[in-house]
Amino acid sequence: MTDPRPPRPGTSTRGRWSLICLLLAPAVILPLLVPLYDQEDPVLLGFPFYYWFQLALIPASVVLTAIAYYLAKSADLLDRESHGTRRGEDPR
Amino acid sequence: MSDVSTVAFSVFIFFFLLVTILGFAAARWRRAEALDHLDEWGLGGRSFGTFIAWFLIGGDLYTAYTFIAVPALLYVGSGIGFFAVPYTIVIYPLIFLFMPRLWSVSHRHGYVTPADFVQGRYDSRPLALAVAFTGILATMPYIALQLVGIEVVLQVMGIGSETANWFVRDLPLFIAFGVLAAYTYASGLRAPALIAFVKDTLIYIVIFVAILYLPTQLGGWDSIFSSVSDNFDAFNTENADAIAAGEAAPKSVIPAPLLHWAYASLALGSALALFMYPHSVTAVLSTRQRSVIRRNAALLPAYSFLLGLLALLGFVAVAAGVAVENPQQAVPQLFENEFPDWFAGVAFAAIAIGALVPAAIMSIAAANLWTRNIYKAYLRRNATPSEEAQQSKWASLLVKFGALAFILLVDVQFALDFQLLGGVWILQTFPAIVVGLYTRWFHRTALLAGWAVGMIYGTWTAWNNPKLGDPGSHFGSPLDPFLSVPWSDTFLPFDTLVYIGFTAFLLNLVVTVVLSAILRALKVPSGVDQTTPADYHADLGDKGVEEELDPYTTTSHP
Repeated sequence: MTDPRPPRPGTSTRGRWSLICLLLAPAVILPLLVPLYDQEDPVLLGFPFYYWFQLALIPASVVLTAIAYYLAKSADLLDRESHGTRRGEDPR
Repeated sequence: MSDVSTVAFSVFIFFFLLVTILGFAAARWRRAEALDHLDEWGLGGRSFGTFIAWFLIGGDLYTAYTFIAVPALLYVGSGIGFFAVPYTIVIYPLIFLFMPRLWSVSHRHGYVTPADFVQGRYDSRPLALAVAFTGILATMPYIALQLVGIEVVLQVMGIGSETANWFVRDLPLFIAFGVLAAYTYASGLRAPALIAFVKDTLIYIVIFVAILYLPTQLGGWDSIFSSVSDNFDAFNTENADAIAAGEAAPKSVIPAPLLHWAYASLALGSALALFMYPHSVTAVLSTRQRSVIRRNAALLPAYSFLLGLLALLGFVAVAAGVAVENPQQAVPQLFENEFPDWFAGVAFAAIAIGALVPAAIMSIAAANLWTRNIYKAYLRRNATPSEEAQQSKWASLLVKFGALAFILLVDVQFALDFQLLGGVWILQTFPAIVVGLYTRWFHRTALLAGWAVGMIYGTWTAWNNPKLGDPGSHFGSPLDPFLSVPWSDTFLPFDTLVYIGFTAFLLNLVVTVVLSAILRALKVPSGVDQTTPADYHADLGDKGVEEELDPYTTTSHP
């Protein structure tokens, strides 16, 4: 709302939202692909691969989500501007 | 049964009495209006920023689930229990995507519960009723898990006796339960809110000590994992016959390949389920701005890391030679063996209080659902505020008794199964709520039919699942061969084990999609949608966006 740019009606944020989904996808999909990390080796600090890999996914997903947060912030702003003038379309 | 030192017991009782006094005193805390006007229950008066939301939501993650239920699975050599980690990773991107939309539409229209949203979006009273009913039902086993957490702490401390008489045996639990019920009744949401400060402080101290101190006592993670591995191998050799006969489960540090889909479906199913629970929706809606949710989705995974290490305490208990019949006692017993007496007392108090607070919050959220979406929507449309308050108080008691009934009547092997049973039910509201945030293509009648199919399939399958080596028993496992039917094992060519809730959810979706297509082709009226596309992007400061949501005012539905 403090954005100095004039509202741009009809600006499509489809590309930005696709990028956000693409960024977040690994954080959802990788942890669910159990065969990928279902093994003992290599061991790290005493932890079998199975355990340290899953724990390592946590900081990785934090980084992805943080980037997605900043992208979403600007995409949201554009969405809201376009909705201010035009209704009926429902981009994500 | 073990002898616990008087020191540990005294420390525990000290903290228990402290929170009991706080619980009752909370009725007077920041008392703004008469108590029979429940403006400050629910969400009213809470507008949380990023930091407080992070602290509160994060603190909520550490319940009996984390300390008792998840480590219990690892303790018995079911590496599958570690699914709690992928579960808490997968959940945040999902929240990131759909929760801001729920926040916006709720703050624009004054929706406080998921059932409110469903009513507004689909214009269907039966569907809203189904969502409300499911929320209340699914909360009960989740509270039951918390009560089990308190129970095992009391058992490890040696309070209560192992007599056959269930009433005598569970008397300490009833007392703890009675205290919880009494101060929730008297003080409402203020009680857990005030106690949460004590709870979170205690819990963080215990977590850090447990994670940093215990492994050093046992020679580091290296030797913990190798001694666990030796222990499990020995068990498998010793019980080879029983395992071959299917009467015992083999133990392993890493789950067998047969369990891959079980692991993934438990993680995904639990992630999809968590934010459908009434108390989680309440927490998310109580944030001040929609961006707070996204920022927290990036910050909250920090907790998942601690959760993973706490889960591994199940292995630490094995390595430390903890031998308990009831796997739920593994972590409390570990604390008793390894910590000095006074700190064991602190740890016991942390677990017990860490179970009491969420139990109180969950029962209040479920009670709100009752009052708002069933009592007021169906039974007494023009109820006065004081009548509503009275309803909520009684409903919160009934929900807790429902939880107690689950403990006494449903004999599960693992406390975790309670939460997963709740998940089977609450997941069935996902299509109506989350898909509804994006599209209204699903027909309201189809959603109701899909919900019914999912509920019946899930409940029936869970009920018919016997425990290992105990044919004819019920609720033995949250896993079942994919799309199994009770009357035949070979009906479908799947023998991969999958979380029942997830299978039921897929069935629900299929029924909903097919029926929606049919009903739309037949042009069956689909009701009036209250919401507009712009509602799903609204933020604080926009026209018509309510800063705070109050569950006890009738909203200005346009």
